[in-house]
Amino acid sequence: MESFVLIKQVPDQSSKAGINSDGTIDRAKAKRMLNPFDRYALEAALQTKRQHGARVTAITMGPPPAMEILYEAIAHGADRGILMTDRRLAASDTLATAYTLAQTVRYAGSPDLIFCGLQTTDGDTAQVGPQLAERLGIPQVTYCEAFEIRDGILLARRAIEGGSQTVTVSLPALVTVANSAQRLAYQTLRGARRVQHLMRDEAARAEVIQIINLDDVGADPERCGLKGSPTIVAATEKVGEIGGNCQVFQGQSVPSLVKSLREAASISSYIGAG
Amino acid sequence: MVQKRVLIFAEQVNGELQPIGLELLGSGRLLADKLGATLSALVLGSNIAHLSSTLIGHGADEVFLADHPELAQYRTLPYRRVITDLIKSWPQPPHIILLGSTTTGRDLAPRLAAYLETGLTADCTELDIGPFEYSNSKDPSKSGLFPNCLYAIRPSFGESLKARILGPWKNPQMATVRPGVMVPLAWNGSRRGEVFQVPVQLDPSDLSLQIVETVRNLSQAIDLTRAEVIVSGGYGLGSPEGFELMEQLAACFPNSAVGSSRKAVDSGWIPYAHQVGQTGKTVRPQIYIACGISGAIQHRVGMDKSQTIIAINKDSSAPIFKFAHYGIVGDLYQVVPEMIRQLQQGQPQPQASPSERIPVLQGQ
Ligand SMILES: Cc1cc2nc3c(=O)[nH]c(=O)nc-3n(C[C@H](O)[C@H](O)[C@H](O)COP(=O)(O)OP(=O)(O)OC[C@H]3O[C@@H](n4cnc5c(N)ncnc54)[C@H](O)[C@@H]3O)c2cc1C
Repeated sequence: MESFVLIKQVPDQSSKAGINSDGTIDRAKAKRMLNPFDRYALEAALQTKRQHGARVTAITMGPPPAMEILYEAIAHGADRGILMTDRRLAASDTLATAYTLAQTVRYAGSPDLIFCGLQTTDGDTAQVGPQLAERLGIPQVTYCEAFEIRDGILLARRAIEGGSQTVTVSLPALVTVANSAQRLAYQTLRGARRVQHLMRDEAARAEVIQIINLDDVGADPERCGLKGSPTIVAATEKVGEIGGNCQVFQGQSVPSLVKSLREAASISSYIGAG
Repeated sequence: MVQKRVLIFAEQVNGELQPIGLELLGSGRLLADKLGATLSALVLGSNIAHLSSTLIGHGADEVFLADHPELAQYRTLPYRRVITDLIKSWPQPPHIILLGSTTTGRDLAPRLAAYLETGLTADCTELDIGPFEYSNSKDPSKSGLFPNCLYAIRPSFGESLKARILGPWKNPQMATVRPGVMVPLAWNGSRRGEVFQVPVQLDPSDLSLQIVETVRNLSQAIDLTRAEVIVSGGYGLGSPEGFELMEQLAACFPNSAVGSSRKAVDSGWIPYAHQVGQTGKTVRPQIYIACGISGAIQHRVGMDKSQTIIAINKDSSAPIFKFAHYGIVGDLYQVVPEMIRQLQQGQPQPQASPSERIPVLQGQ
């Protein structure tokens, strides 16, 4: 069985480094990390390895430093990595990204399952997974919280408004993993040693991690990057700080708070007139 | 002249329209009027004919109904097929297509956009129409003046910025819209509109996914986006048991629900369905009580439209006090029980029955 997991390196928004004064990100300076949602996707892929002996391939698209997250995936137990990197990918929107990833997935093999994080913390769209599934012509299960594979059928539970839904679907399929799924376990000792080895030995690395570009996967550059992106960010505006006039009750002043709430006409109907 | 359309996708669950559909109509009406376009609503489901008058009364000029047993519950591929077949049957694609950023809209919209090879802006909080002049030496084919563009405005970079996303080079221009943000038009029973039946032709491959079970704990009751009072717990609760206290406080109000911050969800204390914020739900209840929540920007954007915000936090410098209306500085484990006592004191409280509130689900 073949499981692919698509991961992305994103700026760490909790670190001040690389955040410009206007709130935009200086990607060269920003601290980088594995997209938090992708940690759940990676764990899901590793689950198929533990339970069904799947071979796990981690795929990322991004500038060369994105290699770091492939190492991270391997340290956790992924078998191999693929880095799609090309200058012509700059300014890709989700449509262009999904096109490039579809070409990359086809190049890398025919997976039974493709796992994606629910969304990224930089783009925040949750669109690339479903767009990739459409391009590959396979069904998708989004917002997946838990799953099992039985006789080649995926049985999955997904979150929906106010509840959940259990579905079955035949493979191949694409799954986007919600953050209520299983957390990523610790790196394995074996995985960490393997990464140390790969970092030292270039020949060994080339066998495990492939670095590829648009030409390798036969992608049409016109459909990638800026050219292939039907949307652009035309303007940004800083969201102003809102200065509240909070009425603060210090310490043990609950009775006075509740009294004030009862007196406020707009609230009193919800808590009774007192 | 060929008809210019603004098309909105109206979700239904068990034959009941979801609020997002009417919100999209409210926003779509403004866009259609600016464009001189027809506002069209599209509903898929089974036995849904009764929905068309609601959609027309709330602003639609025309309603497209795809009524078929296989469409009773939302599934990606059958819905994708029916909608793209319908669009292909028109002489030109709609100028704009809007869907909600619900679990359904966010599942469906990207597939439609990829099929239609067009742009899609996620999770918008404002929409408008305007001109756009563009030139880019790296891609001259995109240069020009575009008069009637969809301005799709969404928060970005951890909500510190508002970004205006444009994609006038391809039609339709598509966006998903956050639930709870756009305001529906008031019902007007004298509005007239046309109703069309949409032919449904499914391919066996569209039916590869089967729904085994759908559980809506809140179906007869309310969900977070409809609750009038929300009691939210954050990382300051310190443990999953804290949500029992949140439940008790919520029980002091009718039509109440329990929400949470992402950090509490990520800690596994409460399911994702309860999360309020940028990557959770947008809510605007009458009263929002935030307990042990710092008020990070990503949480704030999900709840700052609440009518009255009450914050309970032991740190007087927590950002939440910058935008709450009432605040108590103190340990929530002392404040909340006292608050419950005070609220229950003196008068017969209309206790909400448990089924009216969102139960806190435990475990996976
Ligand atoms: C891309 C992105 C998306 C995000 N999306 C969301 C989202 O949708 N929703 C969301 O909520 N967050 C979201 N976040 C996370 C957000 O940035 C914050 O980390 C999160 O909201 C913090 O949660 P919190 O307030 O519960 O925890 P904390 O920030 O840790 O705050 C806990 C608060 O509890 C107080 N406290 C502690 N003990 C007590 C006590 N006994 N009594 C009273 N007060 C006490 C503390 O003083 C503190 O203010 C997102 C982050 C990113 C980067």
